[in-house]
Amino acid sequence: MKKALYIILTFALVILAACSNDTTTKDTTNNNTKESKEVNLYTARHYDVDDELYAKFEAETGIKVNVIKGEADELLERIKREGDATQADLFLTADAGRLFRAKDEGLLQAVSSDVLDEQIPANFQDKDQMWYGLTKRARVMIYNKETVKPEELSTYEALTEDKWKGRILIRGSENVYNQSLLASFIEINGEENAKEWASGLVANFARDPEGGDRDQAKAIVAGIGDVAIMNTYYFGQMLNSEDPEEVKVAQKLGVFFPNQETTGTHVNVSGAGVVKTSKNKENAIKLLEFLSSPESQITFAEANYEYPVNKSVEPSELLKSWGEFKEQEIPLSTLGENNAKSILIFNEVGWK
Amino acid sequence: MKRMANLNSWTVLAGIIIILLFLPNLTIISGIFTPSNENWEHMKEFVLTTYIKNSFILIVFTAVLTIIIGSSLAWMIAQYQFPFRRFLKWALILPLSIPPFIGAYTYHGIVNYTGVVQTTLREHFGLELNPGYFDIMNLPGAIFIYTIFLYPYVYTITRVFLSQQSASLVESARVLGKGPWQVFFQVVIPVSRVSIIGGASLVILEVLNDYGVVKYYGIQTFSTAIFQTWFGLGDIDSAIKLAASLMGFVIIILMLEKVLRGRRQYSYSTTKVRPLPRIQLKGAKAFFASSYGFIILSLGFCIPVLQLMDWLILTFGKIPMEEFLIYVKNSVLVAGISATCIVVFALIVGNFGRLVHGKISKLLPKLTILGYSIPGAVIAVAVVTAFIALDRFLAPLYQVLSANSTLVLSVSLVMLITAYIIRFFAIGYNSIESGYDKIGTDFRDASRSLGVGLTKTFFKVDVPMMKGAIISGFILVFIDILKEIPLTLILRPFNFDTLSTKAFQYASDEKIMEASQASLLIISLSAIAIVIFNKFLDKEPK
Repeated sequence: MKKALYIILTFALVILAACSNDTTTKDTTNNNTKESKEVNLYTARHYDVDDELYAKFEAETGIKVNVIKGEADELLERIKREGDATQADLFLTADAGRLFRAKDEGLLQAVSSDVLDEQIPANFQDKDQMWYGLTKRARVMIYNKETVKPEELSTYEALTEDKWKGRILIRGSENVYNQSLLASFIEINGEENAKEWASGLVANFARDPEGGDRDQAKAIVAGIGDVAIMNTYYFGQMLNSEDPEEVKVAQKLGVFFPNQETTGTHVNVSGAGVVKTSKNKENAIKLLEFLSSPESQITFAEANYEYPVNKSVEPSELLKSWGEFKEQEIPLSTLGENNAKSILIFNEVGWK
Repeated sequence: MKRMANLNSWTVLAGIIIILLFLPNLTIISGIFTPSNENWEHMKEFVLTTYIKNSFILIVFTAVLTIIIGSSLAWMIAQYQFPFRRFLKWALILPLSIPPFIGAYTYHGIVNYTGVVQTTLREHFGLELNPGYFDIMNLPGAIFIYTIFLYPYVYTITRVFLSQQSASLVESARVLGKGPWQVFFQVVIPVSRVSIIGGASLVILEVLNDYGVVKYYGIQTFSTAIFQTWFGLGDIDSAIKLAASLMGFVIIILMLEKVLRGRRQYSYSTTKVRPLPRIQLKGAKAFFASSYGFIILSLGFCIPVLQLMDWLILTFGKIPMEEFLIYVKNSVLVAGISATCIVVFALIVGNFGRLVHGKISKLLPKLTILGYSIPGAVIAVAVVTAFIALDRFLAPLYQVLSANSTLVLSVSLVMLITAYIIRFFAIGYNSIESGYDKIGTDFRDASRSLGVGLTKTFFKVDVPMMKGAIISGFILVFIDILKEIPLTLILRPFNFDTLSTKAFQYASDEKIMEASQASLLIISLSAIAIVIFNKFLDKEPK
């Protein structure tokens, strides 16, 4: 009767082996061909339109894009653990701070390409060309058109004034966009001032932070607060929501680009870098070039109401209607360099 | 001598499984010994107290509420006859099919400013109420979400136990003149406390490792601390140290559970296991019993599903559909394989726990369920590390087999399935263990004394008697894996999507409406599993 036990175990092992073969055979046969026809992508960006672009890339170049989608930090950790054996060729994520961290931990390599230099402005490239920005978003103020006049708004810093007590809405500090926002202030105004700003803003919160960016906008219309800090594309999504109620809410709100007279509005990018041990480096560069090309940029950026980084491409009608704006003029890698400092400040000032 | 050898092969097998399941946890436990750095000190000084307090409130209230709801429903279904009882009996498991993070997003969607409740009040009744009344994104809100979607753990395990419980104890109590409440508190609760506590400890572990709900609701818990140090401060050592402390805490809970269970065993005392004869409820009582069941069912299933359907209609056609068949196939494949492995492993380990007497044989299986308490992302790191080491070790072999890569296992489904097994072993094991508890050892001993070997006894006596426990273990694990999120995201091979990764991706982009399609498919698959489960087990006389 011991046999039965062995049979069960063997059975389990066979199943395991079968499903491992299933996925590995493909890889191995592909790796054996001289000229590789694939590129392996670890991405933290997961819009449906991305898949369409990858399919288009394959149709044009014959290079298949293999994808693992996940959360940025976890994917980074996986690349790190896989070490030089990793199969990842390109790492794509939606925050410059995470790109900096990938570079900082030695996971990326410098790549240069005339096409990339032509398509992506220098300030959206890493200074060592380890990563390239692909789309741009601004973290702006959204205000209640009924209770706030745009003239009352000026800078992020001014939101700490007493007049805004109990009127400010923003999400929690675990969110990377807030971490990058504060990191930019640490860079521009210094750590002390940044901390003062954070604690001043906390004092003016309309409520303890909860929910995502969209929820802050809804809270304005619900009368909980008057001004929210959120990313442009969330507001774009609400204006174009399938839910008529969300559209109604968004229409009661206005967009304001802060710090136009001073240091500029906070911007961030989603971008990608070639992994240090990439075995398909040329293909990875081709994919980067493809994603920053004028044809892709329209889809890649517009799908999420983001700004294209490629200057030859105009932003969508909606974004144009919000007007042009002055951006923060700091190297985006500083968002990553100051990330840990901003976490510590958030904890110290009690920004949940 | 043969008996001895037999016993040994069971021990060896169980030992191997326990070690395999436990190994990745060692990475985490070793974290305790890394020296604390300034980040650790910072966490301790500024935030840890609040986080621990929040976690504590969450688990205490959720545990108490799930015990009250789960065991009262189980008792009601087992003891009484009332309208719709047969339907409610299985329908009350359905809330388990909704992933808590989807439930959290959905309930927020229902009650927020643009949600159906406030919109209806505004537009049809002209009522503009204080939006604070509808705020669900706080501690009580999270407790509600966890309770309403997790109580089936307590309900299922307790009901399976009660429905197959020999009726003699309850009948004796009735004959002795005990009223229904007395029977419930003095007989049912003590007799079924192994099941109740088993179910509740699963709930506690689930709440501890969850990050989706609390992150969205802005509640800072122990998981927040782990992720903040890891992602925010980039300090994985401190993060693992925090996870290790959490594990220590869980060990204490498990020990407490053992103490609460005590030494007393309640197993069949006669060969005929009769189901409890149910008492017919009439009039108002019957109405209240049905209503109670339907209220819980509505909150935990009907209301969120209706909302998701509404969103599905709003977004229908906007989401690429072609791929969804593949996602369904992938989800079922990994969940099915993993659940099968878990049940087999749990039977072996559980049997070992009964065969070998002594503290260690009782404690060892407990260690394997530690994985359930740790946030998935941390387990994932441990599993990746282990598999890459394994791949490097096997690299020469791969070369012989002409695989042109160092990483073979760690880029295959084997890694993901192993991680599932480590994570969800607790769920399967709990069912199996309470099954073993229930059948006791008398029948096995009888079979053995008739000269039948251990293994034969296992297949001919134990397994048939445990059918209920085996199936319920399988289904619970299957459903849990369908819903699983961080492991699937991090550990999957290239181009491998499941329903839950799809649902999560939309939800995390704040596109909850677009997530409805994948969510409803998860829910449907789980519901089918529950129906099959019920058909198979439901052999009670009408």
